[in-house]
Amino acid sequence: MSDYRKKLDAVRNIVYSNDTQISSVIRIKNYIENHFETDLNLDVLSQTELISKYHLLRLFKKYYGQTPRQYLIDKRLEKSKNLLTNGISVTETCYAVGFESIGSFSSLFKRKIGKSPLQFQKEQFSRNKLD
Amino acid sequence: MKVTLISIPVRDQEKALKFYTEKLGFLKKKDSPLGGGNRWLTLVSPEWQDGPELLLEPAPNHFEPCKVFQDALMEAGYPYTQFDTDDVQKDYDRLVELDVEFSVKPTEMGTVKIAVFNDTCGNNIQLVETL
Repeated sequence: MSDYRKKLDAVRNIVYSNDTQISSVIRIKNYIENHFETDLNLDVLSQTELISKYHLLRLFKKYYGQTPRQYLIDKRLEKSKNLLTNGISVTETCYAVGFESIGSFSSLFKRKIGKSPLQFQKEQFSRNKLD
Repeated sequence: MKVTLISIPVRDQEKALKFYTEKLGFLKKKDSPLGGGNRWLTLVSPEWQDGPELLLEPAPNHFEPCKVFQDALMEAGYPYTQFDTDDVQKDYDRLVELDVEFSVKPTEMGTVKIAVFNDTCGNNIQLVETL
């Protein structure tokens, strides 16, 4: 058995031994993926698994390395990039992925992606034309 | 500062180009001569062409410690780097059909599923699917 296989087994025993917790946190992650456009918060998520929101927060961070909120924002931004690339307007995209105002969507998009949604969309269009 | 490039050491750039494009499905993005038969050779993912570039770097041929490090990783089974995928099992099945050798078959590790293959250029590469 390679050294890496031994390390994988050790990590599995130390970090990933609680199957119940892992199944639960995967279901929460899937719930976020399937409901990212809705008004998601810790209260809603904790009700889906009938666990306290503090426990949920701790578990999610432990197994995914980020909070459910951070995961949700990344998911919404990823989806918004897809919609913008497919020609959906900035306003439509904003509401379709679950943001409540154009201002907060645009400023978050610019902070995380490095350009405004409109700039991003224009760049995608010009790239497609050049291709 | 932005992270736009990751590099992997390869023994033969042309062989690596064929493996990474024809078997893994990456696209060539930049290819320019650097003298002495070396090239600045980068690839991108087809579904994320404005994402980070993968530099196929002929360092092991020019810097002995790099070769020693690469050999040691290979010997111990450690991946040099990893790529995300939506479905590890599907990629595993496709790559096995193309005679790619895996040292770790699709294996669940908590909230991820992984597999490790030999890139035939001196490296183990890990595929990761978030569950």
